Amino acid sequence: MSATPNYLTLAFKLAFNGFEIAVDQNIHLSAITGIYGDSGSGKSTLLRVISGLEQKAIGHVSLSGALLQDSEQKCFIKAENRQIGLVFQDSRLFPHLSVYQNLAYGAKRQKQSTLSIEKVLTLTKLNQLQHQNVTQLSGGEKQRVSIARALLAEPKLLLLDEPFSALDKTTKSQMLTILKEIQQQLQLPMLYVSHSLSELQYIADQLIVVSAGKISQAYPIHQAIHQLNSSGETSAKTSLSLTVAEHLPDYGLTRLSLPTSQDNVCSIYLPLLEQTAQPNLIGHQLRCIIYARDISISLTKPEHSSIVNHLSATISAIANSKTHALITLQVAEQQFYAQISLWSANRMALTTKANVYIQFKANAVHSHHYTESSPNA
Amino acid sequence: MTDISADLLALTTTLKMAAITTVILLLIGTPLAWYLAKWQSRFKVFFEAIVALPLVLPPTVLGFYLLLAFSPTSLPGQFWQSATGSQLAFSFSAIVIGSVLYSLPFVVQPLQKAFEQLGDHHLEAAAMLGAGPIDRFFSVVLPLTKASFITATALGFAHTVGEFGVVLMIGGNIPGETRVLSIALFDHVEAFNYANAHLLSAGLLIASLLLLSMVYLLGNNFNKRQQSAINS
Repeated sequence: MSATPNYLTLAFKLAFNGFEIAVDQNIHLSAITGIYGDSGSGKSTLLRVISGLEQKAIGHVSLSGALLQDSEQKCFIKAENRQIGLVFQDSRLFPHLSVYQNLAYGAKRQKQSTLSIEKVLTLTKLNQLQHQNVTQLSGGEKQRVSIARALLAEPKLLLLDEPFSALDKTTKSQMLTILKEIQQQLQLPMLYVSHSLSELQYIADQLIVVSAGKISQAYPIHQAIHQLNSSGETSAKTSLSLTVAEHLPDYGLTRLSLPTSQDNVCSIYLPLLEQTAQPNLIGHQLRCIIYARDISISLTKPEHSSIVNHLSATISAIANSKTHALITLQVAEQQFYAQISLWSANRMALTTKANVYIQFKANAVHSHHYTESSPNA
Repeated sequence: MTDISADLLALTTTLKMAAITTVILLLIGTPLAWYLAKWQSRFKVFFEAIVALPLVLPPTVLGFYLLLAFSPTSLPGQFWQSATGSQLAFSFSAIVIGSVLYSLPFVVQPLQKAFEQLGDHHLEAAAMLGAGPIDRFFSVVLPLTKASFITATALGFAHTVGEFGVVLMIGGNIPGETRVLSIALFDHVEAFNYANAHLLSAGLLIASLLLLSMVYLLGNNFNKRQQSAINS
């Protein structure tokens, strides 16, 4: 693959479905940039413009300085010449071709290829299926073929439009893990569109939010998710990276540590992670989500509680809504969000800078992590 | 010339006319069907109506206007004469041109419907994999609409074989040139030669029936596959 592109310049307008998408943003491409928005917000259209499938977009699009389209200069590079890959939500495999032939379709049309079909079959764990008819594949298999096919067209940038939204939870986790591995192996920048924040939190390093045809800047993933808390559009949550410290199989728990600059290590426990595969994950970073509604606040250290996780925290902000209070708390460098009733907030007389304890069950810590040696999606 | 050898000559003329017409129809009908399927304009219905006209118009009406256009005194007729050195009216070329217009809807309509059903999804996927428009047509469109191409070819061919009115108006009855089976049949009936008329009629009837049965048999099988493939 030629030099990895590092930024995408978008400055265009496009009328569609009765409203206008207007974008003016310079996106520094990271490994995987997430694009989040409700259905109909314009996120798929954004990908279609970058792909070259929307000829009516007025304005400018370029990838690392290489012009893709500019309506003033009357320049429009066609989709087939952009070297951008697109994985569709509905896979769009060619039904008259086998799995292998679908992959060869993209590979055959490249002047120089650095990837072999065999390598991509291995990356996407499709070796067993290569001679199958694509109409007989399951949803997860179809999307693996779709990704493999896109990779073999040797794109400089890979766009994924809700690729796993139709899959069940387990298959989705497997797919996300595979996609992340592919990204790490090929160092191919990706834009990943989804309406599921937990999916994006697992896969993306930075996040762009699309809302009513406008797009935000890209922010680091945890920061972007925390910013959404204040918008009130999504259920408030804490997004954080934790390090796997030890497995406690006798108790069905895994202990994670929250990195702090001080000497004292904060421990957070979650249900025991599957350990069937190598390696055993100790030392690995794991992205976790804790919903604000699952975190409660105590004024005293909850030593006589069945709840395993309790951390000393300082209140940094209190935001009241009609029904509840959203409390922002600081534990070392990490922010936490707790949602409690107004009644409790009043009763406890919470104020900013107060020192309190937050507590949550092990089950409240969610992670997309999935390990199994051979996915059979 | 005996009746039988004259009828055989009419048969070869008919098959030649139908074969050439079908090839021309596929060459011009495919892009025409493609644009009608993709074009989004309120003027589209007008062009669809023009293509469908031969379905409802008496062939003699089409034949009459073509006869006027092909005559050496009209512009198209003169142009043909200066380009080829021979007269267009009452020639084999004239009945091929007439047949192309007359059978146009039988080729365009099934193809247009197939292209509309196919939609843009697979074409966009192909473009994203580096395939240009011509490449996309041959690697994606053609294999996925094979059933409709078979139907269009067979219907175009069969309908041209059965043509009478247009040929009678612009071709006349020149053996080996414009005397096709339907005209030969008409001659036999006029001459009260019912034995030969029976032979030709029954022959045409059975051949048409066989051809159509084959089209529907193939069409049904392919169509099922085409539908499930496109919808998958």
